[in-house]
Amino acid sequence: MLGFLARRLLQAVPLLLLISGLVFLLIHAAPGGPLAIYLSNPNVRPEDIERLRRALGLDRPLWQQYWSWLVAFAHGDWGYSFSDGRPVAIRIVERIPATLELVGVSIVTALALTVPTGVLAAVRRGGWFDRITTTGAIAGISLPAFWFGLVLQIVFAIGLHWLPSSGRTTPGWAGGSGGLADHAQHLLLPVTVLAVVQAAGWSRYLRGSMIETLAQPFVLAARARGIPGRDVILRHALRHAIGPVLAVVMVDAALLASGAVVTESVFAWPGLGSLFTEALARRDYSVLMALLMLTSTAIVLFNIVADAAHALVDPRVVEP
Amino acid sequence: MWRSPLGLRRLAILVAAVVLLGAAGACARRDSATPPSNDLLIVGYDREPDTLNRFSTHILEDIQTCIVEGLTTTDEQMRVVPLLATEVPTVQNGGVRLRSDGGMDVSWKLRPGVRWHDGRPFTSADIKFTVDAINGPSYNPESTDGFDRISSVETPDALTAVVHYKEIYAPYDIQFIRGTLPKHVLEGRDIDRARDYNRSPLGTGPYRVADWKAGEYILLERVPHYWRGDNYPRIRRLMFKFIANTNTRINQLKSGEVHVVALVPWDKKRELAGLPSIVVHRTPGNAYEHVTLNERQFPPFADVRVRTALILALDRELFTKTILDGLAPVAHGSVQPVSWAYTDRITRYPFDPSRARALLNEAGWHVGPNGIRQREGRPLAFTLITQAGYAIRENIAQAIERQLRDVGVDVRVALHDGTALSAIWFEGRFDAMLHWWQMPSDPELTTFFAADRTPPAGRNINYYKDDALTALLYAADRTVDRAQRTELLHRAQAMISDAVPEIPLYSVTRLDAVPASLQHFKGNPTNTGIFWNVHEWEIK
Repeated sequence: MLGFLARRLLQAVPLLLLISGLVFLLIHAAPGGPLAIYLSNPNVRPEDIERLRRALGLDRPLWQQYWSWLVAFAHGDWGYSFSDGRPVAIRIVERIPATLELVGVSIVTALALTVPTGVLAAVRRGGWFDRITTTGAIAGISLPAFWFGLVLQIVFAIGLHWLPSSGRTTPGWAGGSGGLADHAQHLLLPVTVLAVVQAAGWSRYLRGSMIETLAQPFVLAARARGIPGRDVILRHALRHAIGPVLAVVMVDAALLASGAVVTESVFAWPGLGSLFTEALARRDYSVLMALLMLTSTAIVLFNIVADAAHALVDPRVVEP
Repeated sequence: MWRSPLGLRRLAILVAAVVLLGAAGACARRDSATPPSNDLLIVGYDREPDTLNRFSTHILEDIQTCIVEGLTTTDEQMRVVPLLATEVPTVQNGGVRLRSDGGMDVSWKLRPGVRWHDGRPFTSADIKFTVDAINGPSYNPESTDGFDRISSVETPDALTAVVHYKEIYAPYDIQFIRGTLPKHVLEGRDIDRARDYNRSPLGTGPYRVADWKAGEYILLERVPHYWRGDNYPRIRRLMFKFIANTNTRINQLKSGEVHVVALVPWDKKRELAGLPSIVVHRTPGNAYEHVTLNERQFPPFADVRVRTALILALDRELFTKTILDGLAPVAHGSVQPVSWAYTDRITRYPFDPSRARALLNEAGWHVGPNGIRQREGRPLAFTLITQAGYAIRENIAQAIERQLRDVGVDVRVALHDGTALSAIWFEGRFDAMLHWWQMPSDPELTTFFAADRTPPAGRNINYYKDDALTALLYAADRTVDRAQRTELLHRAQAMISDAVPEIPLYSVTRLDAVPASLQHFKGNPTNTGIFWNVHEWEIK
């Protein structure tokens, strides 16, 4: 097992290097740079642009910029943000709690929706529950998050006045935000969007996986041994069927952990996703690189974790 | 006993807990939608500032305006009025002296009794320090425009600063509109990295930063002894909430979670019309939407007959009545009615497609078999670029495409994101572009129309060349006398309107949504923004 992990981690290093090079090239290939935004101000003259370009080191050849970024990044120095001059690490770290909170609650909620829906739909395949959830899942997968989010805002914040439309807390009252209940209120709408969209996809995987499993001989054998139906499904079939679904959940979780870009933007959620949107619009190269590398690393690591988990369940995976 | 791998029961309990918490909270709802009061006014702001140092930022300075004050400011009619100066220096009042060597001296008299927020007096030494820092090698401000023409600053006494210019600089009166840097805080420091100042600047204005929560908000609180007297400002705290998404910002306004939204998009005006608690304030703006015609990239634009035909073929009145919902008037030139340099003695072009067709025929562009005009086998076809995700621009671009097609001109619309668009025009890699310039409050047209001001030296991206106009514009820049300068600028505007180097479409009107109960809101057409008189604001 340790050898397996070591091998996978070693393989990850050249992969991440390759990704960093590609990402660096891609974000520099997009037209406009961190200084493009200055151009619309008629008081910023060409001399100013040139001076700022030199100050930010953007006048050097691209490979030099990449190399100095890579060396610094490898030493844990993520550089300074091109837009506000603060250390990139600080800008990212201050956004992490908001994203973890939103994504954590969303994933838990999505799983809570996924498991019963997927299992029941598979067991009662073709029944009314299956049909309703299939329709619901298709709707959930097809809903654009930004649209769904805005509709929820219009209904629950503007129409009914039950919930705040967006943001993470209600700031400013008597010098502070409203505590746990206030937090939960702000979480409800964005979590609904993320959880519904994720659960729609995941429950489809689980349903498919369960149907396949339920048709296998060991399920029949379990039933033949007289094990009650409920135990056959939950203890035998679900355990077998959930493996591949967990792999998907892991990758989605890694993607979400680096920021639910659209949902965070629609709900003015101060997490990594809105930081990414902002950095992209301003071509804040150093923040973009750090965020994209975090995402890539998270995906690679979560994949390794998912494989390791799979290996624990099924020792054949470890063999080359 | 084997358990479900996810701890189904625990999951269910967690979810139930979150839902219950939310529900409990919902029942206890009280304050997400607190009405605006003199205790707290909440502004829905479209972005988080990069820095609060006014000389380092490249975005609008609304928040900074509440904290840091300039020697002058611009009022709701775009007039330059004194703020920390006792008056605006002019030749008439002796504040401006033209030297025989071609330079000029401007004497600023400072308002006595003004103190920085830390209690230290504001003096002429701060002005000298600001000029020296901006012109010095160690600080990287956004722009050194104007400052680089200053040779030195003299401070004969604490309340007088004499600024010596190497040459005549007409917009001298807004040189210190962004404020000054406090010498006692920043002297000898690396200003680019002075995080304390850049995140919470020391100013002389009515507010100071109380809290900046990254990604969420900046909270300002009133300073205890503002120089205008303890009655000001009337509102105790101002909060700027960062809500980048326009729909979300408008939703927060409707639900009462924010009270003020500056620069409401025109297509949102109708949504707000039915709200009794909100007033949408209209201010004639100093920007104008237009189509830039790049002569270098698309040579047919070099023919004045073609350019004139294009403007005649567009029903600009129809655009403003329909797409703009009557909120913005047609623009006929690059100087807008709000500016002191505006004149209506210029050539105006009506909607006249038959004259447009005749002009194109005269220029040798005849309708080909596919309905598109051509000359010497080449079609009159170009690409119009504009900003993506900006509904009004996308609609206007489509209308232009359609109306020009009616006179046989083939237009293809291409959309780009804002940052990409800036880079494209800077490099001159486009045929035509639909966009606006936010004009400076001083009507300096040189950078947009002088022959030698094509990028990178300026913003003449029509690549229009007219030596007589260029000479006239530079003469206006070197004239301080307001009457003479006005005359020169009127002549320049007339020349521009005859030559049609670009197609002006409409004058941009600012829409700002504020509470109906807010008193003394005046608005502002310039980049100074609506907060220039925030000390007077009051909820009644």
